[in-house]
Amino acid sequence: MKFIPDEAKGLPPPEIVNRNSVGLGGMGWLTALLQNALKLRPALKSGLHRQVLYATVGWLFGYHVTKVENYTYAKLDRDMNEYVRRHPDDFVPKEKKTFAEIVEPFHPVR
Amino acid sequence: MTFNRLLCKAVQVNRVVSRSAFTSAKHDYVNPNWFRVGMAFGSSAVLWGMLFWQHSEDVREYKLRNGLE
Repeated sequence: MKFIPDEAKGLPPPEIVNRNSVGLGGMGWLTALLQNALKLRPALKSGLHRQVLYATVGWLFGYHVTKVENYTYAKLDRDMNEYVRRHPDDFVPKEKKTFAEIVEPFHPVR
Repeated sequence: MTFNRLLCKAVQVNRVVSRSAFTSAKHDYVNPNWFRVGMAFGSSAVLWGMLFWQHSEDVREYKLRNGLE
């Protein structure tokens, strides 16, 4: 299934350190700690190779999730802006009044 | 099972007709499985390398498509 189509490559790619990577990498690490705890091993000190591997897999998955997310929102923004462009009558800018025009003159009672 | 099995006294104790293929052993906490440890660290290193390579490819592709540099 095509998650990242070709036109998505025109978008700026995410940084190596991005929110989804950190989150999913952290979840991978916590999965390794949970597995240690369930097998009655010392949670933080045992299976460091496993902790590193799970965190790495989560980090990579997060990177690709960020790419899919960026493309999804970019597509939605493009479609929305195109709709606004084609229907200008529905999006007439409202006349703005400053506060000076709305507010009554101030008479302090001291 | 074989006919001889029916003649053995153990048949009255163990009535299981099928046998399981699974074995179990106690975990060895003293001697790590260094192959598995090495494979895990090695594959982590490969995956990190792939991530940095993919990122540089993505940056290059982005610059190419948008006419920068």
